[in-house]
Amino acid sequence: MSIAAELSRALELFEFPFMQRALIGGVFTGLTGGLLGSFTILRQLSFFSDALGHSALLGISFAFLLGLNPSAIILPFAVIFALVVMFLLERTHLWTDALLNIIYSSSLAVALIVLSFVGQYKGGINHLLFGDILAIRNADLILSAVLFCLCTAFIGLTLRTQMLLTINEPMAIARGVPVATYRTIFIVLLALLVGVSIKAIGVLLVSAFIVIPACAARLLSRTFTHHIVASAGLGAISAILGILLSALFNLPSGPSIVVMQLAIFCLAIVVPTAQRLAL
Amino acid sequence: MSETVLAIEQLTVYRDNYAAVQDVSFSLTAGTDTAVVGPNGAGKSTLIQAILGIFPRQKGQIFVLGQPLSQQGKLTAEVRQSIAYLPQNFPFDRRIPMTVAEFVGLGWDRLGLQLPWAGRKPRRKAVREALSRVEAWHLCHQPISSLSGGEIKRVLLAYCLVRPRRLLILDEAPAGLDVRGESEFYQLLYELKQEQGWAILQVSHDLDMVRRHCDRALCLNQTLRCQGTPEVALSSSNLSLTYGSEFVPYHHTCRDY
Repeated sequence: MSIAAELSRALELFEFPFMQRALIGGVFTGLTGGLLGSFTILRQLSFFSDALGHSALLGISFAFLLGLNPSAIILPFAVIFALVVMFLLERTHLWTDALLNIIYSSSLAVALIVLSFVGQYKGGINHLLFGDILAIRNADLILSAVLFCLCTAFIGLTLRTQMLLTINEPMAIARGVPVATYRTIFIVLLALLVGVSIKAIGVLLVSAFIVIPACAARLLSRTFTHHIVASAGLGAISAILGILLSALFNLPSGPSIVVMQLAIFCLAIVVPTAQRLAL
Repeated sequence: MSETVLAIEQLTVYRDNYAAVQDVSFSLTAGTDTAVVGPNGAGKSTLIQAILGIFPRQKGQIFVLGQPLSQQGKLTAEVRQSIAYLPQNFPFDRRIPMTVAEFVGLGWDRLGLQLPWAGRKPRRKAVREALSRVEAWHLCHQPISSLSGGEIKRVLLAYCLVRPRRLLILDEAPAGLDVRGESEFYQLLYELKQEQGWAILQVSHDLDMVRRHCDRALCLNQTLRCQGTPEVALSSSNLSLTYGSEFVPYHHTCRDY
């Protein structure tokens, strides 16, 4: 079969509602992940988002054990867990990466043990680890859209404050910025993003949506504002291309998006270097 | 009589269960330059951080332009805008993408909720004027990560200058500069002080600079050991009281700024 025919077949798939929902959901997650991701990497919180992703499995496993709906549990669990981790990071005198390592590996271990008691999920762990973007429902889409609007409003309306806070915290405090409040709101939004995205992307890949487009955008940006816009844009573009790739070659959607993010990141490394060499 | 810009009354600040600053009282009037001197660990930076509300105080009152600083470190937005603070060494992550113009523009903004495009034109104009005044307009589009130590100090002064201020607080601001860079920094700082009428409170280890340029000196070693004009406050007996009896002041004779 020719490439044109393959492409046509893949595009026909987007006539199905489940593919349309996957595409819209992917774009919302890509935009929100890129938006929050730009600040996450600049504030060196990438590992924090990874730990949140892994911890979500713990919340899901307890929900299964207690016979509760995981979707109802995951958001409050992610927020409370994030706030507890932030409290521990501020109160203990341990290295951030070491403490986060303890948290994410132990929460993963406890989650797997808890899941082993839940017969229904024995062997079904792949679903939780890698998600299924094609299984997104309308309610999930609404949640993603609301979260995107919340994050855009928060970052947009406090952009100048966020910039000063990121470049030098004491200078922001000296200007009267309530740093703890801003930090808490940001962490809560990050936790909500992880919680909302788990179903589509899974616990292992969720941090890729936050970190990879933001790093690619950093390589392509000279100004702070361009970095934020580029990060959100690359997040959305990689989601569209990833879902298309998945439809073309019948590949799992979440990993396909992450592969596209990686491809864009590699391009972001190569293009500026090639431009410099050409000059 | 000049207006009191900053008044500190019986300030006590604890750090890790010990009083880093105890019962300190002094005031600053407009257009004056006051230096805080003292040995390492004397509580100089703690004092500055308490005044800015970065560090909580246990006792005492702080008034900025007549307005009390709350225990939570709150002041009205208008009073906050009239203060500029330059931290020691200005530590920042050099991987953060931010141009000089973006950074200086942050000094102009009234922080809080606002649309991201609000005040774009007046901000740009103020940034251009501030950078031109410190002869750094040519750095406008450069990333701040690419600046030398001296250029960063100029840009920091532009950050202070971009909006009218009343009080400038410097925590060893020229730290990290060589002798020439330090000299140029102070020259520019005092030109701007004359122009803008800033009241300056600065932590300094350079006693010669304090003698040459400052109107008053505060000798701090947990408590305020003495205060007055540099001739009085930095006399041998007062310095021994502050730094310890083994302290031998050495006067530089070759430097001129």
